[in-house]
Formats: sequence, C-alpha cells, structure tokens
Amino acid sequence: MMRRAELVLLLAFLLISILSYGQKTQHFYNVDKEITVEGTIQEIIMEPRYKETSPFLVILLEEKKTGELYQVEISPVWFFDHDFHKGENLTVKGSLYSSDGKSLNIIAREVQCRGETLFLRDKHGFPNWRGGKGLTKKRGKGKGKLY
Amino acid sequence: MRKYFTYITLALILSPALLADSFSLSFSQNMTNNLFQNRYAEKDQLSTIGYYLDKTLNRFSLYAEGSYSYLFENPNLTYYVQDAGADYLYPLNEKSAFYFSLAGRGAFYRSDYSDFNYLSASLFAAFKSYFSQTSIFKSNYSFEYKNYRDSVYDFLSNALMLSLDRYFQTKTTLKGEIDWGYKYFLHPYIYEGEVPIDGHRYFMGRKGKGNPSYQGQYQYQTLTQTEGQGIQVFSISGLIAQGLGNTVGLRFSGMRQWVISGQNPFSFIEEFYAVENPSYDRFSWDGFQLGSQLTFLLPWNIQMKLGYTVSEKKFPGIESLDLEGNPLEITRKDKRNHIEVRAEKNFSRFSVILSYSYVNNSSNDLYFDWNGHFLSLGIEWNIPLGVNQ
Repeated sequence: MMRRAELVLLLAFLLISILSYGQKTQHFYNVDKEITVEGTIQEIIMEPRYKETSPFLVILLEEKKTGELYQVEISPVWFFDHDFHKGENLTVKGSLYSSDGKSLNIIAREVQCRGETLFLRDKHGFPNWRGGKGLTKKRGKGKGKLY
Repeated sequence: MRKYFTYITLALILSPALLADSFSLSFSQNMTNNLFQNRYAEKDQLSTIGYYLDKTLNRFSLYAEGSYSYLFENPNLTYYVQDAGADYLYPLNEKSAFYFSLAGRGAFYRSDYSDFNYLSASLFAAFKSYFSQTSIFKSNYSFEYKNYRDSVYDFLSNALMLSLDRYFQTKTTLKGEIDWGYKYFLHPYIYEGEVPIDGHRYFMGRKGKGNPSYQGQYQYQTLTQTEGQGIQVFSISGLIAQGLGNTVGLRFSGMRQWVISGQNPFSFIEEFYAVENPSYDRFSWDGFQLGSQLTFLLPWNIQMKLGYTVSEKKFPGIESLDLEGNPLEITRKDKRNHIEVRAEKNFSRFSVILSYSYVNNSSNDLYFDWNGHFLSLGIEWNIPLGVNQ
C-alpha cells in the first residue's frame, strides 16, 4: 500500500514538472501563418532575436517571383553548421510575422538548398536543433558505425 | 531504504529531461557480414538504443547523450557510451563568431574489450567569419585527452584547421583547407610480460577472434621502454561543390596528408567495429583520399545521398605481416573503396534513416584484405520540451 502511494507521488511530481515547465514558455511560431518562399540570398548576418539566447543566423532572401525581401531566421547554431553564401538559391518554409507592420520576417521551419533539406523545427514550430551545436558530433569516429 | 534510493535515482535521471529544451530517443538496427573487418568475415547484428537531451542557458548549451549497443553474436562486445558537455557561442560582430565546446565521454565495454574502456576530455574552439558575403573563413582547434583502462593507449592530441571558401555565380563553391595534427601516446611501451613474438615484439589484445594464427595473442606491441611517442601530420584538401537547383547537389573533394614526424607506436593495427581503434585515426596515415557525393530530394521529401570514396593510406611504423604472423618488412599500405547510399525521411516528430555501405579494402597485409556490407535502419524520436520560439 505504502509502495503504491510512493509511486503515485513520484508520478505526480513528474507530471507537475512537465506541466509547470510548459507554463513558463511563450509561443512565437504561428502555424496558421506558414508560407513557402523560393528566393536568392542577398545578405547573411547574425543578430540577437530572442532574450537570453545566442544570436540567430538571419538571411535576407529576395523572393524570385515578387522580388520582395524577407528576413529569414534560421537558428542560433547553424551559423557554424552550414555555409550559406550570397547568391545561393533557397526554398524556405516557415511562419510569417511582422514586428513593425512593414518588414517581412520568416521563422524558418525547413530550408532546401543544394539537394538537402534542413529541418529546423517540427510542424508545431518546436526547434529541432540541439545544444552541442552539432559540432562535437562531427569529430571522431562515431559509435554505432560499422566501419 | 533501497526503494527510496531507486525513486530518488529515477527522479534524478528524469528531472534533467523534464527541464531540458529537447529530448530525443533513438533506436537503430545494424547488420554486417564482416564485423571485425578482416579476411575472416564474421556476421553480426547490433542494436543500439540512445537518448539525447540538452538545455540552453543564455549563450550556453548543456547536453548529455548516452547509447547502449548490444551485439547478438558477440554479446561480450556489448558497450555503453556516455557523453556530456557544454557549448558557448560568442558573436564577435554580425559576420563573425567564436564557438567553444568542452566535452567528456566515457566508454564501457563488456569483458572481451574492457581493456579499451576509456574516459576522455576534449576542448574544441572554432572561429567563423564572412570575409565577404560570398567568402567564408573558418578555423578551429581541438584538444583531446583519452585515458584507457589499458594505459598503453593513453594519448593527448592537438589539431588545427584553417579553411577558406568562395561561392561563384555559377552556383559553384570552391574550398581549400589545411590541417595540422599532433598525437602523443603517453606511454605506449609499458612492459606487459607477454610472450615475445621476436626480440622486441609482443602482441596483445584480440584473443584470437577471426584469425586462428593470432589465437591467444594480443594486438599491440609493447616494448620495455617508458617514454612517450608522437606522430605529426599535415594535410591539404580541396572541395568543389556544384548546386543544380535547390534539389540536387554535387560535390567532389580531395585530400593529401603527410606524416611529417614520428610514427605509429603499435606493431599492427586492426579495425574493430565496436572498438574505437586508438591507432587508426586521422593521425595514423600518410596518403590521399578522393570523394564524391550526390545529394538529391525524392518525392515526399525523402533525402538521398550517394557517395563514393577511394583512399590510399600508408601507416608509418606499422609493419605488414603474413597470414602466419611473420613480419614482411614492409610498411602496411591499404587501398579502400567505399560506396554509400543513404535515405532519410523526416516526419513531424521522428526521423527514419536507412543506409547501406559497401567497403572493399585491399592491403599488403593480407589479414586486412577484406570487403564487407553494412546495412542500418534507424529511427529517432524528438520530444520537444522547451519553447517553440
């Protein structure tokens, strides 16, 4: 009996931890405002986007069809992981927002470039990137690899 | 008392996951017809389960990762690897940034390879800067210290890399890179008192798996010396990448590496799947490597990679042996062809990866004249716990 009570207590602790953690968060990615833009890179910069996070890699993208300029937020870590250059073509899927009513910003979820798709977020906008910046994983011979 | 300990332990294990920004679980099933990668091919299967979690605190990221791998035919090679580390990204300005990483790792093998259990610490520092919007300069430095249960393998290593690339309007990227590395085995010649093969050679390690002529012997050389030994390498490499629309990419790369001082301390090397060979790494060889890779997207956003690599490597200090274990008085030299096909499909919360490789390795040490097929199917399940900003 005592054992069951302790188990219930433990599960309750874990559940409360999950729920209370979720309540601390703010929602930025709006899935109802998803768009896809194909364009050419005009500029690449790093700049702060969110409080208490590393600066984001931001790409200024000129849409092929309309010539409109979008600021595409990639992620804090991809500055080191991928080498984007001015003039390269990208197809970006992400959530559109405007901070001042004029500028066009996209929080990128998927980026297609040179035959690769970079999945930055899941369909709900949760980041797929990891701490560790991915760089440490590239060094050494990975475990679980057969050759 | 014991049950309280269990609960507390469980809560401690789970708590970091609950506080983490991301948490993922993975499983992969791997099959090969040549586990030990030598002429005496032996089939096996490997199942790996793993977890990963991280937490971002301002510009720091903390992460932990663990994986347990079970071998069906050789369960005494089963192992667990645990990683943990911290990263820091420091932007210098809009175009430049530093990145630092401090990491630790522990690898724990079951009885057959427990000599290779190790703890390691590593430091990685990188700098990246856009010289112009079409040209990127990168440099990095890495340091690693590994402490093995069998201390002959203990080493320190340092490596430095500089690279510069340029993107052209033809959608072509050219990249040049130079690398320098130095690996120092701290005490590779500890006398172990094993049966000598000749006046100065002893073999340790492998316990005869796969090769009857090495039955009961070990795989590395030990001498009655106590000093360390270093090996220094330098390489230049180049890459041409061509974009063919957004959905196709093609790249060719080449690398030439020289051993500029020192040599490998161990008498011969052998590749093991489950064991990170401390003597077969980027510091151990002199030679070249050429590679090509085609990446493209199939319908339903399935990402495909086809790769072919050929390499020719000479291993200074490593003498080739005949199949009876007699020295041939020539330096081991391998030529390897490697074909790889990889398909990846990402779903909302999980990814599925299927890969196949074929390796053909011809060597002047016939024991290492081998080929093998490697098939792997993996799934990774991402569980977001943090903010979706």
